[in-house]
Amino acid sequence: MKPIKPIKPILPLYALLVIGLPLAGLGYALLGSVGVVGPLAEGFTGQYWQALGHEPGLAYAALYSLWIAGASVGISVVLALLLVLRAQATLQRGPLPGLLYVPLVMPALVVAFYLFQLLSRSGWLSRISFRLGLTNSLEAFPELVQDAAGVGIILAHVLLTFPFLTLLFQAIYQESRLAELGQLTSTLGASARQFRRRVAAPLLLRRAAPTVLLSFIATLGAYDIPLLLGRPYPQMLSVFIITKLQRFDLRELPAAYLAGFLVAAGLLGLILLLLRLANRSRIEAG
Amino acid sequence: MRVSLLYFLPALALLTACGAGEQAKTPDQTLAQTWPQIEAAGKNQPVSMLMWMGDPLINKYMQTYVKPEVQRRYGIDLQIASSQGAQLVQMLAAEQQAGQPSEADMVWINGETFYQLRQVNALLGPFVDKLPNARLLDLENPFINTDFQQPIAGMEAPWGNVQFNFIYDSARVASPPKSFAELPAFVQAHPGQFTIPNEFTGMTLLKSWMIALSGDPKLFQGKFDEAVYTKWSGELWKVINQNKRYFWKEGRTFPEQLAPLHQLFANGEVAFTFSNNDAEVDNKMNQKVFPATARAYVPLPGTIQNSHYLGVVRGAQHPEAAMLVINFLLSPEAQLKKMDPNVWGDHTVLNLAALTPEQRQQFQQLPSRRYAPRRESLQNLALMEPDPEYMTRLFKDFRTQVLEK
Amino acid sequence: MRSRLLITVLLILFVLPFGLLGLLAVGEEWRFPEVLPPAYSLEPLRGLVAADNDLLGGLGKSLLLASVVAVLATVGGFIVARAIAGTRLSARWTALSYLPYALPPVLLAVLIQPFIIRMHLSGSVGGVLLGLLLLALPFATLLLGSFWSQRATEYEQLARTLGCTPRQALRRVLLPLAAPLLRTTLVQTFLLAWFDFGLTNVLSVGKVRTLTVQVFMYVGEANAPLAAVASLLLVLPPMLLLLANKSALLRKP
Repeated sequence: MKPIKPIKPILPLYALLVIGLPLAGLGYALLGSVGVVGPLAEGFTGQYWQALGHEPGLAYAALYSLWIAGASVGISVVLALLLVLRAQATLQRGPLPGLLYVPLVMPALVVAFYLFQLLSRSGWLSRISFRLGLTNSLEAFPELVQDAAGVGIILAHVLLTFPFLTLLFQAIYQESRLAELGQLTSTLGASARQFRRRVAAPLLLRRAAPTVLLSFIATLGAYDIPLLLGRPYPQMLSVFIITKLQRFDLRELPAAYLAGFLVAAGLLGLILLLLRLANRSRIEAG
Repeated sequence: MRVSLLYFLPALALLTACGAGEQAKTPDQTLAQTWPQIEAAGKNQPVSMLMWMGDPLINKYMQTYVKPEVQRRYGIDLQIASSQGAQLVQMLAAEQQAGQPSEADMVWINGETFYQLRQVNALLGPFVDKLPNARLLDLENPFINTDFQQPIAGMEAPWGNVQFNFIYDSARVASPPKSFAELPAFVQAHPGQFTIPNEFTGMTLLKSWMIALSGDPKLFQGKFDEAVYTKWSGELWKVINQNKRYFWKEGRTFPEQLAPLHQLFANGEVAFTFSNNDAEVDNKMNQKVFPATARAYVPLPGTIQNSHYLGVVRGAQHPEAAMLVINFLLSPEAQLKKMDPNVWGDHTVLNLAALTPEQRQQFQQLPSRRYAPRRESLQNLALMEPDPEYMTRLFKDFRTQVLEK
Repeated sequence: MRSRLLITVLLILFVLPFGLLGLLAVGEEWRFPEVLPPAYSLEPLRGLVAADNDLLGGLGKSLLLASVVAVLATVGGFIVARAIAGTRLSARWTALSYLPYALPPVLLAVLIQPFIIRMHLSGSVGGVLLGLLLLALPFATLLLGSFWSQRATEYEQLARTLGCTPRQALRRVLLPLAAPLLRTTLVQTFLLAWFDFGLTNVLSVGKVRTLTVQVFMYVGEANAPLAAVASLLLVLPPMLLLLANKSALLRKP
């Protein structure tokens, strides 16, 4: 007995839209990178692929993005874990749960704009520290946005990600009845610290892993925030590609298509890997 | 070839709202019309214009003056959107490859964008002669009839003419460097006060500086010369890299846009900002963006003066209406309004001798141009724009030779 | 004590943005080192109702786009998720739904742009809508996928055996069952479209000036007051949504 009669054209249509269009775009980018399509296309050439070897720009952008994504998600996970495991009482009452929802309603672009106004050398904090006599000039204020290490970009991502992860961890915490489990382990003689380290944290991390990885991938491809808070060099991947696409030199286009193709292919590979891992752990779990 | 596409279309028909529209004219048919025919065809149409939208006053001029005026005069609904440079070329080229009418009717362009649009054959023309107001244009002026060493040949209509200048705060800097030659010493004596925006205006600064280093502007006339470029850009990178540590943020980064640099200047973080427009200092002081002590000047041996233009898109859906708008933008009325630094401060491209005495007087006695250098004094300090390739290469090499070092 | 400190810190962290944005919106000639604006002006706010200002237009466009995306994606996602649950390869289909996540929206936009142009959708609301659906539909499908589990299909079966028509089964049984999840999906897909800047900016060729596009434009012209006003407009509706949703949660047992 088949419970549901599948509605015939829906899935192919869905596939066409959700998979077909992006893949077609990927194909177009690939063709563009070998000079077959594009405004100045002059026929097949491998020169842009060959040039990849001696132009470190893309690799550098990839490394920089990995650093930003790693740091942002890492800090967010730590903060969220700390809140859920160490401030459980506060999390369950008072204004805190509501507060944590606030960043969820803030667009990345607005957060970036706000942080720039707050943290730049002529920003609000700098003005306050100047008035308080902590700094005696604009230049004395530390560089917090458009800095080399990407502190501003990381801060913006942490501000957006850690409340979300806290809410997620909290949901898992309650759903898994970790509080009761903690009491149980303590009657069995384990310390609270041992419980947090050995039981709670690994459980939360394991169950939240797919979401954490998804936020890592999203941060890797971030655009709005590094656009406002980043430097012209080094750039994050999305900004790097868009800059190459939209600047003065049309002859840069194939290289931009190439970068777009490689990044998209790389990220697709990453998500496939993630899915496979998630699947395997599901199968192992039973 | 478009099989995959045919497969897409029905699938997405739900979302598509493509109006087929009436049979469009070919570019030749469009251009063969007389002005009255163009006027008749262009009235009561929408016009989509693509332009750089990085300046609030320019946007305001377009939104609160031009838009209502063309609506009132011709019933034209002017829609303005932001696009420039390679993004613009890419879009028009893609539309053309697809054999499609364009989303854009007219574009604000110059230099390398003009060159590239002509390369991909995306401009309609020659059309300038068609416009009644074209006879008022100062087309004898080489700074107006030549766009980055390319004759405009009726393919784009001049709209405004400007000259690159330094802006400084006279309250903070008593004696700014009078020439490019004095600039390095000044920067060393005042560390952290100078930077180069990594965009259009900054590239004009680099071009002017490179020409100054060479000592011979004639070298940069005509087609792009690899040897000239390599030699003098090499000198330029040498000077910049030697002095970079005295730049803003020790030269470890540069502003990506002009507006943020203006902001840095307004906040006193840097001593200089720049403008491609000689009247910008008045414009920004009137808006209270710059302090009242801001002043502008052109360093010796001079800076680049260039014009910016309006083009009609070859695949335009409303080319006649676009020509009506362009003709209006070239009218003495619209040009005078635009030249007022309280409005925009963009110098006119009209030949004052061709105007009525009354009109001429209005152009010559604009009360609001106060601190910008006098136009007559600028003419001896004006350098021609070199071939667009110089700018493209400077932009690329500024990244590899300076930014990424 | 520690908990109060924590709350204070978070309060500052999350409430300060509104304060600073509010000050920026009404501050005039506010430069370093002034901690507070030397003068205040309601000009940017008054400009909201002026004819030439397109902030309100942007607000309308953003609202319309996000609402349409939310409704289409939620309805579509509900149907697709059901179809996926009915196939034997449902795990594979679910996996495919994750693909759009891999691509940053702005990169996705760049990749599909040649096709959007060929579909006559470049620079139109339709093109942006299509691009946003590309993100929102799989998202909704994944969110709603959990609903079409064994239980929901069993309920549907039961309803049918008890004599409901398919339509009645949907209206009387399935929709009420799915209501909370559908509401979540609506809100989430609305926010996804509402927050988007990169994809909209690329696909609209700057023509569909939603609020995010305008925030970026004003930041680009260093027009802090208008950028702040646009930012506040951008934060307001989701804030209301959040409050409404919370109160809805509170009313329900």
